[in-house]
Amino acid sequence: MGIRKLAVIGALALASVSALYTSARAEDVKITVWSLDRDIQPAPNLIKDFNNLKTGITVEYRQIQFDDVVSEAMRAYSTGQAPDIIAVDNPEHALFSSRGAFLDLTDMIAQSSVVKPANYYPGPLKSVMWKDRYFGVPKATNTIALYYNKDMFKAKGLDPAKPPQTWAELVDTARKLTDPAKNVYGITFSAKANEEGTFQFLPWAQMGGGGYDKINTPGAVKALQTWKMIIDEKLASRDTLTRSQWDSTGTFNSGNAAMAISGPWELDRMVKEAKFEWGVALLPLPEAGAKRSSAMGDFNWAIFANTKHPKEAFKVLEYFVSQDNRMFKDFGQLPARSDLAIPPTGQPLKDAGLKVFQEQLKYAQPRGPHPAWPKISKAIQDAIQAALTGQMSAQEALDQADKKIKAVLG
Amino acid sequence: MRRLLLSIRDGRGFDIGLVSVPLAFLFAMAGLPLIYNIVMSFQEVDMFSLGTFARPFVGFRNYATLFSLPETWPILGNTAIFVVASIAGQFTIGFALALFFWTGFPGSSWLRGLFLVSWVMPGLVVGAIWNWILSGDFGVLNYILRESGLVSGNIFWRSDPDFSLWAVVIANIWLGISFNMILLSVGLSAIPQDLYEAAELDGANVMQRFYTITLPMMRSTIGAIIALGLIFTLQQFDLFAAITAGGPNNSSNVAQYWAWDMSFRQYDFAQGATISVIMIVFVMIASVVYVRSTRHEVRG
Repeated sequence: MGIRKLAVIGALALASVSALYTSARAEDVKITVWSLDRDIQPAPNLIKDFNNLKTGITVEYRQIQFDDVVSEAMRAYSTGQAPDIIAVDNPEHALFSSRGAFLDLTDMIAQSSVVKPANYYPGPLKSVMWKDRYFGVPKATNTIALYYNKDMFKAKGLDPAKPPQTWAELVDTARKLTDPAKNVYGITFSAKANEEGTFQFLPWAQMGGGGYDKINTPGAVKALQTWKMIIDEKLASRDTLTRSQWDSTGTFNSGNAAMAISGPWELDRMVKEAKFEWGVALLPLPEAGAKRSSAMGDFNWAIFANTKHPKEAFKVLEYFVSQDNRMFKDFGQLPARSDLAIPPTGQPLKDAGLKVFQEQLKYAQPRGPHPAWPKISKAIQDAIQAALTGQMSAQEALDQADKKIKAVLG
Repeated sequence: MRRLLLSIRDGRGFDIGLVSVPLAFLFAMAGLPLIYNIVMSFQEVDMFSLGTFARPFVGFRNYATLFSLPETWPILGNTAIFVVASIAGQFTIGFALALFFWTGFPGSSWLRGLFLVSWVMPGLVVGAIWNWILSGDFGVLNYILRESGLVSGNIFWRSDPDFSLWAVVIANIWLGISFNMILLSVGLSAIPQDLYEAAELDGANVMQRFYTITLPMMRSTIGAIIALGLIFTLQQFDLFAAITAGGPNNSSNVAQYWAWDMSFRQYDFAQGATISVIMIVFVMIASVVYVRSTRHEVRG
């Protein structure tokens, strides 16, 4: 009797413990998310809000540094310790999807009522694709356009309502605006030997009928010659070759350059620092009526293929996407969505600039996608630098880059 | 058995035991990574095979590819220029300052201590500051050169292929002077004063004393400093990252920065390892010089 009673109690205890155990597990699916967002940026805040919803999924966040994203992710993946979700820079997305490291989300997206491919700008959407399948969801996006100092335009007798439309006009305007006596360059941009240089040059090549897979078309050569002309005539500082976009635009804000090519991430700083009236214009074209193009930056969300909870991870992504309308208002980032209207901020210059960037985004092209993008990008950077330093002609430099890229493309 | 025990407690075995601990530590912390790096330079490595050791061996293919690149020889040449110019500058100025402070004027030891500030600063901070100093349009260095009439137009230190490497050399010399000076000061103070007194009585003048006493007495210190300088210069990475990033068009690229760029920017780990192996050879030579020049040192 005693023993039976004890056995029953024991069995009950065991059952309740295991029941508790399983129910606890069912309640708390843990999803880990890695991204480079700091505390004032989207990821940690969205995750906090998501966890407050108590959906039965708990999300843990880890911040990684920009330079470490790929190497950390790679190491984690190859040792089986990858997070469920990661934010990865768009030109590096294909590297992972082509190797099967990211989960194919095509079927889940097809059934989702939140993530709809039709809602996205074509450029960002293309960057998450590999072989016509979706391997991620665009997180945010950005592009580049032409900032110009309206006060300087007026001072030099130019019409501030008519920013340059073509490359020839751009060079001409830059010539008029350059004023060495006042330490003013006509234009500033970045031809730095890193991804930024490629980011800035590729749109020019694309407008000239080229692209990363045919970088030496006549139009692309003309683009590089135009850059060289700008540097050689001292319409832009020679330090353009080593200066980042952020530092270059800094000289625009301080009134040492009359025009600047950069992205929407400058808007907030410019509102604060620039003591003059400025405007934003679409990137000038090779000639009137040519095809528009621009660069496309920012990160994508992706789910690692070896996640144990693909469904729950996708739910988290769906939540992120559902919050896209907060991206600009709360975090100053542009959602990659063409279906969302961004409400005005009350800053006239910023709102006007934003409109131009949204227009420019329609023409934004991803870099790649190709798994060996860094090598392709390096070939383009080398060509830009070789031509701008005068060590090669634009044609020679781009021919050499084309040869290197063709070798990578196979 | 007893002899063995005895030897372990007090004798050869004890010595071997003592030596084996640091040896094992060195092997684990430095030897293994070194071997791993060499092995990697003979393999085909990409990011997804980073976690395993079983990678296809490709023989000397990585080396062949590396030396078929057009930028390889210029970059190795840059590395040589960078190392020689940096060490020459650091050593000469460092030695001059050490001799200057050695004269022992009031406050000299304080001032000497202050010089260490440059050595204590992180390379990236030093790089960022030199980045401003060397800036083409608004740099302080250009301002000084222009105002003193030495140059008529601005020199684009960071962006002109003729100057970019020298921009980093200048920053690196500044960074290394204090280290050289302190070590040389230590060497100088170890020279017995009576040698100089005797020489002075014999009528040797300042230059003679310098060449016949100071330099010979400093031989091992100088050898060690130059070897250490070689190692530190070959390690110098932060300044390149902060000032020129190896540009424009590789004109200021050196092997150590290139290895990083290959491995962590282009994700070509095999090529990165190959460059590192080539550098290891040079560092080995420096280490031999260092060991040889310090082995006469008597401690105790």
